[in-house]
Amino acid sequence: MIAVLVLGSAICACALAELLYPGQAVYHAGWLNVAVAAAAVLVISGTLRSLRRVQAGRARIALVAFAFGTVMVAVAVVSSGLLAPDNHSVVGAPGQSVRSDELGGSLVFPFVGQGAPQPVVLERGGNAQTIENVRLDGSFLLHAVPRTVVAVEARDTRGGRLTITQPTGSVFLSPVLLMQGTQNLAGMSVAFDSFAVPAAHHVVKAVLFTPDQTVRLPAATSGYAVLFDVEDDAGNEAPHGIGLARDGVLVTLGGLQLRPHVLTYPAIDVIAIPDVTVTIAGILLALLSGAAAVFFESRLTPRAASQ
Amino acid sequence: MRGRALWVVAAVAAAVAFFVIWPFFRQGSNNAVGPAGLAGSPAPVFDLLDDRGAAASLAGYRGKVVVMNLWASWCPPCRAEMPDLQRLYARYERRGVVVVGVNEGESAQRAAAFAQSLQIRFPIWIDDQQRYGRIYAALGLPTTVVVGRDGTVVHGYDGALTYSQMQSAVEPLAAK
Repeated sequence: MIAVLVLGSAICACALAELLYPGQAVYHAGWLNVAVAAAAVLVISGTLRSLRRVQAGRARIALVAFAFGTVMVAVAVVSSGLLAPDNHSVVGAPGQSVRSDELGGSLVFPFVGQGAPQPVVLERGGNAQTIENVRLDGSFLLHAVPRTVVAVEARDTRGGRLTITQPTGSVFLSPVLLMQGTQNLAGMSVAFDSFAVPAAHHVVKAVLFTPDQTVRLPAATSGYAVLFDVEDDAGNEAPHGIGLARDGVLVTLGGLQLRPHVLTYPAIDVIAIPDVTVTIAGILLALLSGAAAVFFESRLTPRAASQ
Repeated sequence: MRGRALWVVAAVAAAVAFFVIWPFFRQGSNNAVGPAGLAGSPAPVFDLLDDRGAAASLAGYRGKVVVMNLWASWCPPCRAEMPDLQRLYARYERRGVVVVGVNEGESAQRAAAFAQSLQIRFPIWIDDQQRYGRIYAALGLPTTVVVGRDGTVVHGYDGALTYSQMQSAVEPLAAK
């Protein structure tokens, strides 16, 4: 019986670790999940064997309950480890609704307005749940992570606003660049993105420099800055088409007026965890029934020995 | 008796296992991409300005069928589609159908000049932040969304529509 209790406790400890320190790559490792499954099988077979030896009736019931709780926890751990997707980030443009099959709903990204951005909303079956910082959602932990994005304003030389499109981005009609690409430039790792201005037949590449990187540029400046590189539809450099724009400052490049606005905008990290309800219920059941099994068996054993 | 109890435990364990595992195999009920995927959902409402600077909102058209066309002056298929939208507007206006052209990302002056050049009479709204383009999951321009009298999206179309396609979308919804 002791071996069963020790093995079951190890499974529960493993599950607890996955809840307390979520997102570790090792949780998806095959060897760990095979080990947990094997331990669960040993708990079941050990329980069946122990039932014959345990003398107290209540201790037998408690032992079965312990095995049941342990198996619940093991199923939650192994299914999360082997079936759940690896940790990933869902990055959306303001106003975009991103379908997530694993969450059984859509993540709706808020529009950018005045003040701090609104939280991302998980819409599912008519319900809307905001993801302020961290949200537990069954088998997933949803974590809102701030990212730096760039909203661009494009105008013609007379000041008339122009449409911005992102033919290669996740959202076609968005003036907000999600800056998901990275490249090395002058020894710095910088984020970049690109957009088109179809009315002007221009394609523009935008490279974002953080305040730390900006001070290292030859044209030393401060704060965030965006390097724009304006090309025509055929990929030819537009005359006077390269230049640096500080956050919020209008620059004229290649016949376009461009103004970047650097914003902090949430993305959602989706981290697989063992189903919280089942795991907590399983651990509590195992804990209480394990203690009960030891208690009832130890109470009976001295009496049985004295008879 | 003991054997039966163990079977009950096993059955409950199987039910718990199913509860834990099924989320990893569920699929979305609506996998349509682009504006077609919005059918059945409430049409988002924003306050915009029209090409004359007056306030405009979809909320003002509740009770009417709204054909909302997202367009831009640089888009050749949008230009080609505009006369048919005007024809649709002229024919169905008395039957409770409104056509609204939502310019995506351009200035009011440019949009107004474009509409005037094509003798467009239906309302032109200016969506300078391109919000409708994002929320209607536009894959390109033009994009057309038909909103029912209750404010729910009925159809979403990517690309230019012919007049007969516009008619077939609107006819069942228009007042007799």
